[in-house]
Amino acid sequence: MRKIDPLTIAAFGFALALILAWQLLAELNFISPIFFPSPSRALSVLAARVLDGSIWTPFFATALRMLFGWALASLAGIAIGAAIGSSRLARDLLEPTLDFIRPLPASAMIPIAVLFLGLSNAMSLSVIAFGAIWPVLLATVHGFSSVQPELRQVSDVLGFSRFEFLKKIALPSAFPDIIAGLRVSLAISLILAVVTEMQASLPGLGWDIFFAQRMYRSADLYAGLVLLGVMGLTANHALMLFERRVLRWRNLHA
Amino acid sequence: MQVKAKQTVGGGKAAATTPGMSMYQVSLSYGASSPERRLILENITLDVREGEFLCIVGPSGSGKTTLLRMLSGLVKPTTGEVRFRGQVVSGPSRERAIIFQDYSKALLPWRTVAGNIALSLEAEGMRPADQQPIVAALLSKMGIVRAANQFPGQLSGGMQQRVQIARCLAQRPKILLMDEPFGALDAMTRQALQDEILILSGEQRMTVVFITHDLEEAIYLGDRVVVLGDTPARIIETIDVDLPRPRDQLTTREDPRFLAHRHRLFGLLRRH
Repeated sequence: MRKIDPLTIAAFGFALALILAWQLLAELNFISPIFFPSPSRALSVLAARVLDGSIWTPFFATALRMLFGWALASLAGIAIGAAIGSSRLARDLLEPTLDFIRPLPASAMIPIAVLFLGLSNAMSLSVIAFGAIWPVLLATVHGFSSVQPELRQVSDVLGFSRFEFLKKIALPSAFPDIIAGLRVSLAISLILAVVTEMQASLPGLGWDIFFAQRMYRSADLYAGLVLLGVMGLTANHALMLFERRVLRWRNLHA
Repeated sequence: MQVKAKQTVGGGKAAATTPGMSMYQVSLSYGASSPERRLILENITLDVREGEFLCIVGPSGSGKTTLLRMLSGLVKPTTGEVRFRGQVVSGPSRERAIIFQDYSKALLPWRTVAGNIALSLEAEGMRPADQQPIVAALLSKMGIVRAANQFPGQLSGGMQQRVQIARCLAQRPKILLMDEPFGALDAMTRQALQDEILILSGEQRMTVVFITHDLEEAIYLGDRVVVLGDTPARIIETIDVDLPRPRDQLTTREDPRFLAHRHRLFGLLRRH
């Protein structure tokens, strides 16, 4: 078996200690259990909802919202970023507008999105795409504009067309940057999925915890939070595994 | 040693009568308006003969690299003209391969060694099945068969430079333009690659223009050595290297003529 790093044990110990402290504070009725349920209660509610299957509908609703919104943001971000990063014209044309839009908080776009699209999934996805596009877009711009000049010259000497250069040289060269951007965008997608659910009463874990809070069912609230944490962690890890596979060449050394 | 494979790829036999390359009264300056206008190269007239090994030496920052870029077509002269086999050079071409000093920046780090070499063949639209034997031949020619499926980052500098040379040979150039290709390598590897490039250029009668700041390297490799003076770069001397071939790292470098050339070049560069 692989040897376990003592620091890993310590890290798990730290988390466990926090949960125990939480349990202890709750047992002492330090704060009313209406606001502050014990972890054992939160976890048993979670276990019950997992077992009776009622948790999966909101779980997958939120997961799909996050993934579709992220996919939209990624496709648009990579396309626009590639254009800006590889063409002077696109950069001069688009950058001023984008620089103006970028600092707008995505949550401020919700009212506009609701006006146009109603309290719908389309509204939610457009808000997620708007908020999550920036990290991947900026990373793509950086990746495409920092291709080694030598590689550009190699491409010119070999007579590659512009499209072939972008496909065979610029895109793979920008890939490490793009993946880093994708990971930040994924985290933002989850945040905005939850926010739009709360704002527009769309089905999902975000709406569930919002509703649980209104009903003073704090154990349900915390159960939902735990599950959102698991979702974020899983998505990030999946992307990390993908990164390690695709960027295998980066981790190999002589 | 490693370069022993038969001639499978590489430049065809050159017509001996057409001159290889020439630069006629070429100047290059950066900056449009007169106050910040900087003259990089001044009035360069140069002939590169078909099949010859021409070395260009000069102090660092003297515009050697720019001169090579102009021969390749990547940089256009401000005045004067560059010709290749009689035709005015208007841009880069597969016929003129360029080998960069910094191999780590010139290779695609995400492609294997074989994939890097295949890039040149993909550029001419060759089917993958047809690429395979050519890549295999070049791998063995450059002595890097065992590294075929490794990534450049896993290889030593000398190996990476061999990959870059193999990729350039895959484009079947008529002329090799080499920009201080061995400058970043350790002494042993440098000597090994010097001998390999001599064998390569000899067996294919390949025209080579080789930039270096190492005077001994220039004399050891070259049929002629062109000396550039700096800012702006001008040709201050061209010497014929009358040393017999094949050359040998020990005996050639001990030859009194070698030492005499070294003396002369050293003096020329010190004065400028």
